[in-house]
Amino acid sequence: MKIYKFLLLLVALLLPGVSIASEMGSALKADIIRAEPYSDAKKTGDFARGDKLEIISKKGAWLKVKTTKDSGWVRLLSVKRGASKGGNATSDILKLASGRAGTGQVVATTGVRGLNEEELKAAKYNATEVKKLESYTQTSMQGQQFAQSGGLKAVIFSYLPESQNKGEK
Amino acid sequence: MRALYSILIFMLAIVMLQACANDFGDALQEVVKSNTTWETGTKSNEVSTSNAAKSESKPAFNLQSPSKQEEIQIGREITGNLLGAAPLVNDAELQNYVNKVGRWVANQGERADLPWHFGIIESEDINAFAAPGGYVIITKGLYRKLENEAQLAGVLSHEIAHVIKSHHLKILQKSQLLDYGANLLGKQLGKDNQVIQKLIGRGAEVCARSLDKSAEFEADRMGVVLTTRAGYEPYGLPEVLQTIGQTSNDASSLALLFKTHPHPDDRLVKLDDAIGNRLDNIKDGKTLSERFYHLKN
Repeated sequence: MKIYKFLLLLVALLLPGVSIASEMGSALKADIIRAEPYSDAKKTGDFARGDKLEIISKKGAWLKVKTTKDSGWVRLLSVKRGASKGGNATSDILKLASGRAGTGQVVATTGVRGLNEEELKAAKYNATEVKKLESYTQTSMQGQQFAQSGGLKAVIFSYLPESQNKGEK
Repeated sequence: MRALYSILIFMLAIVMLQACANDFGDALQEVVKSNTTWETGTKSNEVSTSNAAKSESKPAFNLQSPSKQEEIQIGREITGNLLGAAPLVNDAELQNYVNKVGRWVANQGERADLPWHFGIIESEDINAFAAPGGYVIITKGLYRKLENEAQLAGVLSHEIAHVIKSHHLKILQKSQLLDYGANLLGKQLGKDNQVIQKLIGRGAEVCARSLDKSAEFEADRMGVVLTTRAGYEPYGLPEVLQTIGQTSNDASSLALLFKTHPHPDDRLVKLDDAIGNRLDNIKDGKTLSERFYHLKN
């Protein structure tokens, strides 16, 4: 019975678009919850920094969230995914499903190659690997063809200044 | 006696410097030429051009604006050392894929003239590195965390931005070794890797050094923009930062990344400040998760 439930959950999690269903998160800053995923949509609530949120779905730059009292859309960057305290069953299951469980710990105990400062300092030039690396190099044109084959189109968009319209949201 | 000896060496260095002034003049022309072929007339373009012009009136080796070849040579040496610590993942399909994504993203910046190289290395650490001249390396541990092509583009964009802004060259410029190595570099480039080796320090230690926090935030902002310009979903990089932020703080796989970078939460807040509602009109960005190359092991 337990396994059945687990499998059901697993299937639900792996379905595209539902993969972050009922994931927990916490607010990185105070922000407004809106009825629609647009900055001029009606306000339906708000939350304070550190508040726990339930993430229901994602659309572009917006997350649909639920707090203890309100629900609606909030900017993706106002929310930190994953619960900050306590267990996080969802992400653990995701890790299991993708075979990532316990990666961090394994590194320390099985001697899989790490990259700490000492190892970097002691590193010796490896000419064979450099040649290999350079053998995969693509030309600008090849990059463009690859983009086209994926339906990617270049967009004109200027660099972002350091910080702007802080008070606008 | 010792002082006299030092003065002699100093004079010899000046003579050598003048001897290679002509070579360097050619190198400068190359810098100016490559600058003019850059795609867009952004700020960094203007700055580099004016640097080049400045050094033209004072013909001495100046790492403020090394020639493209010199920049590549330095980056190649650093990357070679890094590959000595961890070799490439033995999967040509993976490496080709990453180079295609990276090359397309790099085309959107001001250094499309560089021969960009991208690689995934055998390490379960979560980290990414950039070296001058267009060398970008991601660990297998970080690649494992990615879910789609837009996220890969996001990570590559951040590193590409470091190269465009010469952030690591600036670190080398600050190091004491630089003064010693600089005037030799122009003369012996390509003949004696030991000179560059002296310049970059021990092994790949430059990869373990922290940049200014402001340089990391700048690379994040530029990264989001380059990802957007390439036609991807703009939030590829922030999503990866979210994922990394979720990973336990004490995981050893993140030790070096957390030591050399601001915390992902701080980076996300800074990005949010900079982005505001500017990305609201970008609606057709692609994630291309169906094309994303999954690791074999």
